Amino acid sequence: MSDALDLDFDPDELVMLRQLFATEAHEALEVVTMRVLAGGTARPSPDALTEMMRVTHTLKGAAGTVGLSSMVDLSHRLESALEAIGQSADRWGSHSADQLVEIVDGLRVYLDELVADRPGTNVAADALRARIDLITRGAPSEPEERPSFESMMIPTIVEAGEPDDPPRHGDDTGGHELIDGTAASEPKTWLRVEPERIDALMSSAGELLFDRTRIERRVQLLRTLARDLARTRQSLRDAIGDGSMPATSQRGALSAAEAELAGQAALLSQTTAALLDEIEALRRTIGELQRGLTRIRMESARNLMSHAARTLRALRRATGIQVELRTVGEDTEFDKAVAEQLVDPITQLLRNAVAHGVESAAERLARGKSAHATITIRARQDGNLLVLDVADDGRGVDTSALRERFVATGRWSAARAQLASDDDILGALLGTGVSVRGVADELAGRGVGLDLVRETVARLGGEVRVTSAPGRGTTFSLRLPLSTSLAQAMLFKVGGQVYAIPNVHVVDTTLVEAGAHTTPVRHEQLPVLRLETVLGHGATGDRRPGVVVSFAGKGLVCTVDKIVGPREIIIKPLGPLLAPLTLYAAATISGSGKVQLILDPAQLVRRAYPDAPEAAADAVSAPLVLAGRALVVDDSRAIREAMTSMLGREGWIVDVAEDGGRALQMTRQLRYDLVVTDLEMPELGGFDLIARLRTEDRFKQTPIIIITSRASPEHRRRAKDLGVRALVAKPITRRKLLEALAAR
Amino acid sequence: MAELRNVIVFSLGAARYAVEIRWVREVVSLGFVTAVPTAPPSLGGVVNLHGVILPVLDVSALLGQPPGPPARQGDGALVVEAEGVTCALRVDQVDHVASLHEDAGAVVDASGRPLTLLDPINLVRRALELVGGAGKAELAP
Repeated sequence: MSDALDLDFDPDELVMLRQLFATEAHEALEVVTMRVLAGGTARPSPDALTEMMRVTHTLKGAAGTVGLSSMVDLSHRLESALEAIGQSADRWGSHSADQLVEIVDGLRVYLDELVADRPGTNVAADALRARIDLITRGAPSEPEERPSFESMMIPTIVEAGEPDDPPRHGDDTGGHELIDGTAASEPKTWLRVEPERIDALMSSAGELLFDRTRIERRVQLLRTLARDLARTRQSLRDAIGDGSMPATSQRGALSAAEAELAGQAALLSQTTAALLDEIEALRRTIGELQRGLTRIRMESARNLMSHAARTLRALRRATGIQVELRTVGEDTEFDKAVAEQLVDPITQLLRNAVAHGVESAAERLARGKSAHATITIRARQDGNLLVLDVADDGRGVDTSALRERFVATGRWSAARAQLASDDDILGALLGTGVSVRGVADELAGRGVGLDLVRETVARLGGEVRVTSAPGRGTTFSLRLPLSTSLAQAMLFKVGGQVYAIPNVHVVDTTLVEAGAHTTPVRHEQLPVLRLETVLGHGATGDRRPGVVVSFAGKGLVCTVDKIVGPREIIIKPLGPLLAPLTLYAAATISGSGKVQLILDPAQLVRRAYPDAPEAAADAVSAPLVLAGRALVVDDSRAIREAMTSMLGREGWIVDVAEDGGRALQMTRQLRYDLVVTDLEMPELGGFDLIARLRTEDRFKQTPIIIITSRASPEHRRRAKDLGVRALVAKPITRRKLLEALAAR
Repeated sequence: MAELRNVIVFSLGAARYAVEIRWVREVVSLGFVTAVPTAPPSLGGVVNLHGVILPVLDVSALLGQPPGPPARQGDGALVVEAEGVTCALRVDQVDHVASLHEDAGAVVDASGRPLTLLDPINLVRRALELVGGAGKAELAP
């Protein structure tokens, strides 16, 4: 860490505590930002200042506890600056709000750098310190360039319900002030959880969906078999009935068998039907689980909107265009993961509105509009959709000019342009490379911005609609699914199409020699599955990239045309018509709206190990299970937690022990399929624990992994003697863990 | 002579078909069609329609005739819903919406030309059977 310290925490614990601190600090700083933004360019009220000073003070104390002395200093200075603003009105200039917001933004960046222990933070701290002190000292903060319009500047956030505002209709959420003034919020107790933990649960829930699909397919197969059986029985019966059967004695025996078969077929068919009902119940439960988890991750549109307010503020300063932001529906909740992805599109749409949508003040006045333009961001829920509108009250899109432009640039034929409706034209605006203005400028131009908007929204499973009224404005509606199942996946190309494999089952990428049936991956030879053949394309004789897949303890390498890379994808179900095709687990939608199929690792394993029916059976019936019950032994709580979460993601049930002695007690009661242990611990150390375990029959063969900060050759030799599967150097990462699990 | 109201008439290759409008949710121009390599010829690929994965069916293949050309972006399609399955039927051209007459078991249009009236329930069942067969072959040891 950058700060010198002498604290009572061990390093692991400190990392965890600092992460907790970072979460708290971000919340505190967000409060300051919101209070400043709520006042527009006006000096914050005494109450608001008190609130800001209080959170800054708390921040100072917490920073001290975790030994971040530079943060203590900076928050102390910020507190003083706020105090100075409160004491003397001349500390506040027209630029002060912007400066404060920028300082706080800077502090947040600095905080992340500090906690992540990145180099060069001292310089950032010095710069921040200087800026804060400038406010405290009351140094002239008057602006760089454009004093003329600053004086006419209107506050960024306008209360939608202001008396002189016309009444609004059509939005059920009603208009709200972006930030609820200075009113203290109700005290509530909150549970703080690292987002990664929720993500891990989400990912497990996502896996459940895949598991369910696998089971469902098996049961569908059973159902077909039941039908086949019934048909066979019918043929048997017909054969007996038509009298061609010679001996009466034989006929009697056959009839009895036929009757029995009939009973069995009926039972099989009933059981299958019951199973399908139960799978349906499972599907509902998984759905509830996912919705519940998504709700945990929900956040209100508030953060997104305060980000938009900041963006617009910056745009206004850069262009001098008078434009204000109105926000509606800040309480609309949506998935945090989705909210994060929407920041860039919203920024782009704002840039777009300012660059293209909004007229100059003179032009507006000439058209009988108010001199300042308004951009409205409205969030609302519409059935299963989250709708986010970004609307300006500018000139609207000139569809006839666009039509001409499409023809001039050769994008459309004259005939097509003529046939196209205005809606077609507006829709095409979202396509590639169209800019409404003749000349691209630095703000928004070249039409690439709208591409980004469309792509991001498509990747989230939604769509963008554009409506425009000439002279009255343009509205971009982002329509997104309310809940999305996001997952990490490895994407690659085969036969010109992009496919994906869930990342939890992807260990690595490699190169496979031409014609090879196996290929070395680390210490073992893995079978090669030629995906181009599996997917119906001709085999090629070249050396090809390979994706190393591990599933149910079996590894294989899939050859592909080209590796695209890991991506966060949304998971879309395939529906009943595609579900019987076992090779595919689900599908996703690319940024350009194309469907991409997700391959099922269980099926890939089956194909790569055709000679091992029991392996195949394992692979299908026991999906996530490399896994079993694991024991993690470490005296650091942070490490125990981290390992529990990492192994949990891989499907393991995890027990923990804080030292070797406790671990030994636990192994007497339960059998473990994996032991992960630290070396240096009070009571009984790692090597002693392993030596004792190896004396017992039950643990002679058990895979053991050592995690340690000292991986000397001597340690490695001892580990090898004790039959330890892998020795992993701290800090432990998921990749290292997967490698250790895959090691033989 | 029984009358069938409100059918959509479309052509596919040399054949002309009709489907009652109550089954048709939408007439669309297909987006990018993703091929599904292990699927039977009756399943011509999948498309993204309003964020939902939609299978594209080949009516000729479902009726036991040689499958038509592969579905491609820009092709016309009828989005039908039957048996709890929503899918797109690729068409060469949507002709018109009309009322038809049933004449001695044969369906004819206003000018007396014969048409094949499609039953989406049967089409979907057939599609499920064909895909199920392909899936079973995949699972078989």
